[in-house]
Amino acid sequence: MIEFANQTEDSVVEARKARVLKMAKGPSQNRAAWFPLAVLAILLVFPALQFVGNFNYFIHLLLFAASYVAMASGWNILGGFTGYISLGHNVFFAVGGYFAGMIFARYGISTIILAPVAGLIAAILGFALGWITLRVRGPSFIISSLALVMIARILFDNWEFVGGAAGLALPANSLPVEWSKLPYYYAFIAMAAFAVWASYRIKHSKFGLGLRAISKDEIKAESAGIDTRLYKIGAFAVSAFFVGMAGAVWGEYLTYIRPNIFLIILVSVNMVLICLLGGKGTVAGPVLGALLIVAFNEIFVATLGASEINILATGLIMALTLLFFPLGIVGTLAKAGKLPRILNWD
Amino acid sequence: MTDILQVLILGIALGGVYALMGSGLSLVFGVMRIVNLAHPILIIGGAYVAYWAFRLWGADPLATLPLAALILSATGILLYKLVFEKDAKSAKYSEMTVLLTFSVAMIAEGALGSAFTNTQRVTSPDYATDAIFIGDLFIPTGQVYAGAVSLAIIAALALFLKFSRFGYAIRATTQNREAAELMGVNVNFVGVVSFAIGVGLAGAAGSLISFVFSFFPGKHWEWIAVLMSLVVLGGMGSVLGTVVAAFALSVIAAFVGAWIGSTWSTMTFFLALFVILLVRPQGLFGERPELA
Amino acid sequence: MTAPLLEISGIEAGYGNGPSILEDAGLTVENEKIHCIIGPNGAGKSTLLKSICGMLKIRKGEVVFKGKRLNGMRPDQIIALGIAFVPQERALFPKMTVRENLRMGGYRMRDKNELERRVGEVMERFPILGEREKQHAGNLSGGQQQTLAMARTLISKPEIVMLDEPSLGLAPKIVSEMFSIVKMMAEGGITVLLVEQNARIGLQYADRGAVLDLGRTIFEGPAAEILEDPRIKRLYLGGGKAERKPL
Repeated sequence: MIEFANQTEDSVVEARKARVLKMAKGPSQNRAAWFPLAVLAILLVFPALQFVGNFNYFIHLLLFAASYVAMASGWNILGGFTGYISLGHNVFFAVGGYFAGMIFARYGISTIILAPVAGLIAAILGFALGWITLRVRGPSFIISSLALVMIARILFDNWEFVGGAAGLALPANSLPVEWSKLPYYYAFIAMAAFAVWASYRIKHSKFGLGLRAISKDEIKAESAGIDTRLYKIGAFAVSAFFVGMAGAVWGEYLTYIRPNIFLIILVSVNMVLICLLGGKGTVAGPVLGALLIVAFNEIFVATLGASEINILATGLIMALTLLFFPLGIVGTLAKAGKLPRILNWD
Repeated sequence: MTDILQVLILGIALGGVYALMGSGLSLVFGVMRIVNLAHPILIIGGAYVAYWAFRLWGADPLATLPLAALILSATGILLYKLVFEKDAKSAKYSEMTVLLTFSVAMIAEGALGSAFTNTQRVTSPDYATDAIFIGDLFIPTGQVYAGAVSLAIIAALALFLKFSRFGYAIRATTQNREAAELMGVNVNFVGVVSFAIGVGLAGAAGSLISFVFSFFPGKHWEWIAVLMSLVVLGGMGSVLGTVVAAFALSVIAAFVGAWIGSTWSTMTFFLALFVILLVRPQGLFGERPELA
Repeated sequence: MTAPLLEISGIEAGYGNGPSILEDAGLTVENEKIHCIIGPNGAGKSTLLKSICGMLKIRKGEVVFKGKRLNGMRPDQIIALGIAFVPQERALFPKMTVRENLRMGGYRMRDKNELERRVGEVMERFPILGEREKQHAGNLSGGQQQTLAMARTLISKPEIVMLDEPSLGLAPKIVSEMFSIVKMMAEGGITVLLVEQNARIGLQYADRGAVLDLGRTIFEGPAAEILEDPRIKRLYLGGGKAERKPL
């Protein structure tokens, strides 16, 4: 009662203000922009090692990882920033792959040149699909994205023009074997760098702020004057763009396009898992996650082989991440205040 | 005319089986707010119980149905304790829970695939290949049995939910978890039991599909979309809605299969899912778009 | 002096892993009286009721009901001891009928005949519910829903009923009906603990009151005394600067 006796009206108002501030959490600004640039520089000169030995396998792994960095960063714009988890993004991978692959097969235009166009096609499709499926959120949205994969698989399996279930073979390039991977390597590194840069820019734009508001509380975001529907569909289209672009070049790199390369669930699961493991909604998360998943895949496939085991192990990693580190590596470290500066790209 | 009747009968018989496959999923969603994407692989687990009992002892899948239900129920309880209990206590379900069931589905697919390979399996009791002929109508006995047993199980479930004390508790928890708790319902216990019942229904459905469809672990992806379309059309969490949706879509799919081609028959379910989400996200019976 | 029915001392509580909403809340609830907790938005009034019945984890302090410590018990166990709680959202089952909702109120009763008898009794006492026996609770008006929620607590014959803002969203005429039900409960020997945003009305009906602000109990005493205290009047009963600027 003594405490109460000493209070004035102003002190009560002040105390309430202080309490509200205490409940909010302050942001941290502690980032190292030089680190990703340094990594990029190293990656750009890495193929020079081909002069002194055969590093084709490492180039393949880096290229593979870079393709996933591009796709997962794209996925992250919808799944991480906006909070709409899609298990159907491999549809855009397929659309990009088939669009560029078909033109390449018919007219010989390199898929690397076509990639941005393929991305655009994927984005337009994403816009249309988002217009339909983004009416629902949460579990319903996830389910609709799964149905999308099923529909796409049946369509591509039965579309004779693009080769049906057997797919189409694409011509390999004529470069000597030690250099043959390089065009694709640089293409994927460029896409990955562009995707990471774009997600940084988006995260800090008004658009990105709106997306993050939607992920926190869509109704509040809407009442704050954000056109949530347009924002969400926009995020869907942008994320489809990066996945479609990666798909375009992937077909030429493999020298064939076939439904069971693009439209298997493991591809979209990998995008999700990479973001979850690395840290959903962070810029560095998809990069870190892609490196870990690609490394892990190599170890598993090399030592255990069977695809059943691979599925089991992928599921296990995903379950353990969800149960014990739902914020992913970057998110968990950041929350504990222990994120090293070199991983803070936000 | 006979053709139409024929397709209708096949559609209805399968509708019963789909209804049973979907009802467990619907129950678990209603009570726990868990969209159990692992439900279809658990159905396949039930089918493997029937398969091995048939292959090893020549046991009739209908006779081993309780066994499959029991084994799967036990698996369900184990799963709940291992994976969902922590989440269930927070009583706030999110996308994360869906991804969790998705991971469980992958783990189970991988495990079943490693143990039993991805070869197509089927049990073949005598009635599976039998048929009843009424005039020109051809009625496959296996499908009729499966449909009838499914409906009997669903009827028993409905009576249990409507009239028993525990059924009240389950319905109360479905409608308002917090309120049920305040009436003195131990909602965690209701959660475990409903999950066990739901997964047990998957086991029962597995026994029945073992002689209706051929199955292998990888097949569950297709069924995820099929069953989800039923549950979404029925209004997530409404067992009755799921049953009605199952019959409706199954009949439509049978006609699509007969007139356009069997490849497009499953497409019915996937497209239906899309159309429902577009036109009526709350489903046929849902009053508010809880997940929409 | 006999021991109080419900004794809350120095509790700290909050949602999930979030910050503590209650920092040092205490309350003594005596038998057969109407108690009213007042305080501004965000003071922790609802949080206090929720932590009493086990819906929130208590981080510090203790809640003792009839000499039994409630900390760490599940809500269903606490309810079984004779505590009923009507939260702000009223906790009805929208797709169950009025009768089924009332039946749920006696979920823990084993004697089915006795349960049916009490359901009948309540429907007689509240004709507004009896007439709508077969309607879904979700289709009732706000006042009817609140009546149902309050009447339902009577089925299990609890010793204490906690009400979180029974007047919320109701027209003034209906509000006084709700408070007459509160009076009736108290006359029937039930202790009532209610939280009211509408401080003046709440205190008029109450025997004792408490002021909660910033997660702390800052005053506890007879309701009439609170209504008269000039400082509380200015800060919490309208008109003052602090009241106009809820944070």
